[in-house]
Amino acid sequence: MVGQRRFTVFGVVNALILIAVAISTLYPLLYITAVSVSDTASVTKGEVFLWPHGFNLEAYKDVLFDPKIPRAYLNTIYYTFLGTFINLLFTSVAAYPLSQPQFVGRKFWMLAIVLTMFLQPGIIPNFLIVQKLGLLDSVWALVIPNAIWTFELIILKSFYENMSAQIREAALIDGASEYRILFNIVLPLSKPALASVGLFFFIGHWNSFFLPMIYLNDQWKYPLQVVLRGMLIFHEGNSSSLVDASALAPQAKKNATIILAMIPVLLIYPFAQKYFAKGVMLGAEKG
Amino acid sequence: MRTLLRKIARDRQLLILFIPCIVFYALFRYGPLYGLIIAFKDYSVYTGILDSPWVGFKHFERFFSGPDFFLLLRNTFLLGFFALICSFPFPILLAILLNEVRVRWFKKFVQTASYLPTFLSVVIISSMIIDFLSPNNGIVNKLLNLMGFESKYFLIDPAWFRPIYVLSDIWANTGYEAIIFLAAIAGINPTLYEAARVDGASRLRMMWHVTLPGLLPTILVVFILKTGSMFRVGYEKVLLLYNSMTYDVADVFSTFVYRKGLLESNYSYGAAVGLFEALVAMVMLLGANLISKRLGGKGLW
Repeated sequence: MVGQRRFTVFGVVNALILIAVAISTLYPLLYITAVSVSDTASVTKGEVFLWPHGFNLEAYKDVLFDPKIPRAYLNTIYYTFLGTFINLLFTSVAAYPLSQPQFVGRKFWMLAIVLTMFLQPGIIPNFLIVQKLGLLDSVWALVIPNAIWTFELIILKSFYENMSAQIREAALIDGASEYRILFNIVLPLSKPALASVGLFFFIGHWNSFFLPMIYLNDQWKYPLQVVLRGMLIFHEGNSSSLVDASALAPQAKKNATIILAMIPVLLIYPFAQKYFAKGVMLGAEKG
Repeated sequence: MRTLLRKIARDRQLLILFIPCIVFYALFRYGPLYGLIIAFKDYSVYTGILDSPWVGFKHFERFFSGPDFFLLLRNTFLLGFFALICSFPFPILLAILLNEVRVRWFKKFVQTASYLPTFLSVVIISSMIIDFLSPNNGIVNKLLNLMGFESKYFLIDPAWFRPIYVLSDIWANTGYEAIIFLAAIAGINPTLYEAARVDGASRLRMMWHVTLPGLLPTILVVFILKTGSMFRVGYEKVLLLYNSMTYDVADVFSTFVYRKGLLESNYSYGAAVGLFEALVAMVMLLGANLISKRLGGKGLW
């Protein structure tokens, strides 16, 4: 690291390549933002490339006064918070017994759980179970059948395993029950790991579109991603809209909706980045 | 038996905490496996799973002898194959190049930027693709027009579907997948670089003779495991990007199951196709893991 700060051809080329990488990931977002705050005429004339033309916030007003979108936004917030809470509760509690070396049947449970990562029977049988349980068209269809995420369960289990066994023994000697140990000692000590998997849950729920699409029928229950899909993406078999996607909704309004849908994710993105990297590495270590 | 009972008595609190987990996996992970028997029945919502008549391999025969089978197999395989082969080198390259950057804020900035698409939903990514490629307003066509070309209708042209799918995969995943390689580089013994420097190696030579060999085990494991899951094509993006004009190149097993099985309520037929897909995917994953272990690397388990 030290004494290596010469400009070399290699260093310059490398920097240029990396700048190109950064631009290619950031540019689409900047462009979408620019379009969302430009006036419709300039967009149609093709004057917007990076900076907004004819700055205005009409598009955002349109979005807010469209009854469907604020409703969908609230739905997404509700589904995401409920889903993340249920995931955190069920996954973190399930991981605790598995982290105890003496836990009865531990090997069997682990095998049964890991096996499910390979036995994935597909959409139809899952749908039938949800239908049988009468969960269709309710938030529970999105939350309960995915209450525990296997990969995250394994991450949390290894995290608990690395916790000192002595703390637990001391608590046991003091007469604490397993429930107390879990909720008063183990979980508070696991905040970093819980934050990490919690972000996976949060982003997973926020971005989820396929499950709400198949499990919800009532349009008023749609989360943002499903409404976005209806606004932005032509419908199957409707070939008149294939030719011009803008036939569905004005460009600026579409982009304003995209931006609004991205904001929460972008806000937690700096934190998410840190924890995601940790999560990925924890997962990789399991390998 | 007595010891088992004693163990259960000893662990009763842990077991109580574990009950939701057992119920969950039994109901939502093993339950659907039971539901798969409808692939061998003529299931209808009114008769239920148990009372529907057995029909043996009828649905499988219909599927294998129909025109869809070969099409789906080819599309699923090709999409997965191209996505794997074309996108695989990029995270490795990005990690190596990032590792060569000595200016910390710049390294951080590029990494943060390259990482961004990971957090965007597939709906948003797909809608960006559609917007950018739109024949009237899309920025790609505007650029083509500026250069004197005609506008192209990318999304209804079957020739463009696979390139669009693969390119957007590269765009979305490169930054995220680079993490694992960056971590592997960080694990390379620094004395190797020292030795190389003493021997007069240039930065490029060190990349070639130290970094790359150091990465090789990781590259191998990641590659093999990715081959194993190649068959699990990102069907959500296909679902969002395809349309009746591109079904011939874009339709994969999962989208077919969704369309024929769920939308048209052919539950048994859909379950049969889904079962076939799951079996192929499982065999590929098990095979990949076996190869990975044989080569002396680590397996997935």
